[in-house]
Amino acid sequence: MKRIITAALLFAGAARADELRLISPNEIDYREIEIEHEGLAAFDHSPGRDGGRIYSLDVGTGITRWWHVGAELDYEREAGPDRPTQINGAQLETLVRLTEPGEGWVDAGLYAEYDRSALHSRENPDGVLVGGVFLKDIGRTTHTLDLFFNKAFSPDEDVSGVRFSYAWQSRWNIWRQFAPAIEVFGQAGRVDQPDRFERGQLIAGPVATGTFLLGPLGRLRYEAGYLFGATDASPSGTVRWKVEMEIPL
Amino acid sequence: MKTLFALFLFVATASPLVADEPLHLTLRDHKFVPEQIEAPAHVKFRLLIKNEGDSAIEWEIDELDREEMVEPGEERGVFLGPLEPGKYRFYDDRHQATKGTLIVK
Repeated sequence: MKRIITAALLFAGAARADELRLISPNEIDYREIEIEHEGLAAFDHSPGRDGGRIYSLDVGTGITRWWHVGAELDYEREAGPDRPTQINGAQLETLVRLTEPGEGWVDAGLYAEYDRSALHSRENPDGVLVGGVFLKDIGRTTHTLDLFFNKAFSPDEDVSGVRFSYAWQSRWNIWRQFAPAIEVFGQAGRVDQPDRFERGQLIAGPVATGTFLLGPLGRLRYEAGYLFGATDASPSGTVRWKVEMEIPL
Repeated sequence: MKTLFALFLFVATASPLVADEPLHLTLRDHKFVPEQIEAPAHVKFRLLIKNEGDSAIEWEIDELDREEMVEPGEERGVFLGPLEPGKYRFYDDRHQATKGTLIVK
């Protein structure tokens, strides 16, 4: 999905990498196929929190002007020493645009995702995620806010509670090939038992984004950035990247 | 919860000052007509894009993060602004040599 960031925080002790996303309600690839690769690498001075990796491959398209569907395959290496890289799971995702872009004060959409774990353990269950995604254009800047609720299907109560996460991006659309942005990703824990701030997960930092036109092949989009950990529970640094092809149908 | 939902609906649907008349842009003979459109500054406006060609176009304006697919024979509208004065370049993403400029005054 165009300008969708699917990343993950890779923390020691987290049974399964909790994903973060930044989704624009207007990114419906109608009459296009999107093929997208994303990666994430977490670094920390603590060996148990260092070395986490996520790699994903996503394919999607807009069924209509307001409905997008996609499927994603994730590979993961959990943080910590001597961890293997393995298939984490697969996802089915859908986005419904609820407003006409730019007509109201804010654009809105509804995002939902079914996450099928490849590991099938109590700590690595299947899950669903739903959320509201919002966008506001102000002149040459674009601001996106996502609010997500995630429910895992696990008999383990520590894993199964409904969890809240959020994402924010403010982007300055200077040039097509280069548009700088600031991003924030956070997780506040279970809705009924929110984490204290320092125990929550929060990363933020600068990201470069841009688009190259490829004639009849469509467009190539990229994003690359470095996110700093803002709480004790977050890795001290996270590199993320994304490359996406949008091919006209 | 109902109050929050009502507040969201109000905010999502509330609009700033909108220009009375829409602007018009036509794709004809692989060119945008007119190639330069003038729009008022600091006012939201609607641009109606008509495709008189024989293939779909994907009108796009990078600086404003807006795009619209227009099928042959179709006319579609996009809301833009309020904008600061300046020049904003648009193009057809499916025929990338087809370009134009939105001039906001």
